[in-house]
Amino acid sequence: MHISDGILSTPVIVAGFTGTALVLAATARNLDNAEIPKLAVISATFFVADLIHVPMGLTSVHLILNGLAGVILGWRAFPALVPAIVLQALLFQHGGVTAIGVNSLMLGGGALGAYLVWECRHWFSINNRAYLFGALAGATGTFVSGIIFATAMLLTGKEFWLMAMQVLAAHIIIMVLEAMVVGSCAGFLERAKPEVLAGYRAPVPAEKLRASA
Amino acid sequence: MSFEIDRYAHLPSTIQRWDPRFKIAALGILIFLIALLQSLPLSFASLVIALLTFTLSGLPYRLAATGLKWLIYFLLPFFILLPMSFPTHAPLSVLGVTLAPEGLRLALLISVKAVAVVLLCYATFGSARFHHSMYALQKLRCPAFLIHMLLFTYRYIFVLIEEMRRMYKAMLSRGFQPRMNRHTLHILGYFVGNLLLRSIERTERIYKAMLSKGFDGEFHTLVTFQSKPVDWQKTLIFTALALLLWYGDHFGPFPRAIEAWY
Repeated sequence: MHISDGILSTPVIVAGFTGTALVLAATARNLDNAEIPKLAVISATFFVADLIHVPMGLTSVHLILNGLAGVILGWRAFPALVPAIVLQALLFQHGGVTAIGVNSLMLGGGALGAYLVWECRHWFSINNRAYLFGALAGATGTFVSGIIFATAMLLTGKEFWLMAMQVLAAHIIIMVLEAMVVGSCAGFLERAKPEVLAGYRAPVPAEKLRASA
Repeated sequence: MSFEIDRYAHLPSTIQRWDPRFKIAALGILIFLIALLQSLPLSFASLVIALLTFTLSGLPYRLAATGLKWLIYFLLPFFILLPMSFPTHAPLSVLGVTLAPEGLRLALLISVKAVAVVLLCYATFGSARFHHSMYALQKLRCPAFLIHMLLFTYRYIFVLIEEMRRMYKAMLSRGFQPRMNRHTLHILGYFVGNLLLRSIERTERIYKAMLSKGFDGEFHTLVTFQSKPVDWQKTLIFTALALLLWYGDHFGPFPRAIEAWY
């Protein structure tokens, strides 16, 4: 849920840009030039995801897919989402220009939260692990984004509480949708090309295991 | 929906002739200060300024029409929710529902500012080619990583939209019907996964091709910016307007929107 211009107060806007700069510096350290094309593709996918409509009764909602960005890119999901948010603000006014900092923290923070949940899959070894943890990561991404949205609105002014509640309620439905889409996407990628997903650990051949034992 | 914000960048106008570095810096300051306004009269003044700037830029109104339409859809809930939730001393009663005039004023303030900022954004980035704007941002000391990402992402958006259309047509031709059930969501997941896989492999091939043609991480461009005195004059005018608005908002006689109308 991108915030547009003219809503947030000055301290919140400044905090948004400062926070984004800090997290960007932390997550984009030692960014190799060779990574930029892959980040840009995920960035463009996130941008275009707003155009994927899921039918929902009489209307349709669109997916956010920041959880998917976290699942594929890991920490680099944040530097991938910031340009996408900038372009969304500039090209089709989805979110305001002054709110780029806050929107980046909201959606990038959700992606990072999703990555943390995704990484927990290594503690388990069950069938359909990628689908299950992809689904949890997708839901977490939307959940964290909703929390940061509500925080930004309430820090701006207590009068936005009804707006924040309404958006959070809408997010519950989106969480379910995101969970299923990101889960099945992660399951597909795990079967098709697992190196694409973040935190990929190549399986060690049995001979090497026996040799080290 | 076309995302090429610079498709009318060839139309000549005084804003279009403005050096992009100065244009982005000056209008950026104006945008930022407009977004922080708190009084209704000044926000309407900023809307007038934005409309004048947009007209000066020579861009057709249909460029801004789609963006403004989506913006209005986003802003409408504010007109309903804010009057209902704002704590008020002088409630109005409309059809049995108590509404707060403060909330109505705040919603109006937000909407007027948002429309003004959007018009200025279109005037800024619609009046120059996209990669010229990006080069101007680089000259304004924007981090190189961000510029590279913006350029690559902008390029890939159009590639992805084409790819998506083709894949979706293929899905439809195989009998896919989007409905509200688990099956649809699973298929959408596979759709996104497929799209990502093809795009990632394509981008690896593109990058290797760039490397083999001598790409060394630096974008070289044929564009050179030369500032003229009239660029400085335009910058002065717009920065003075921005500072006037800010000064009038902070130290002027206008009350904040949540307190009174004017």
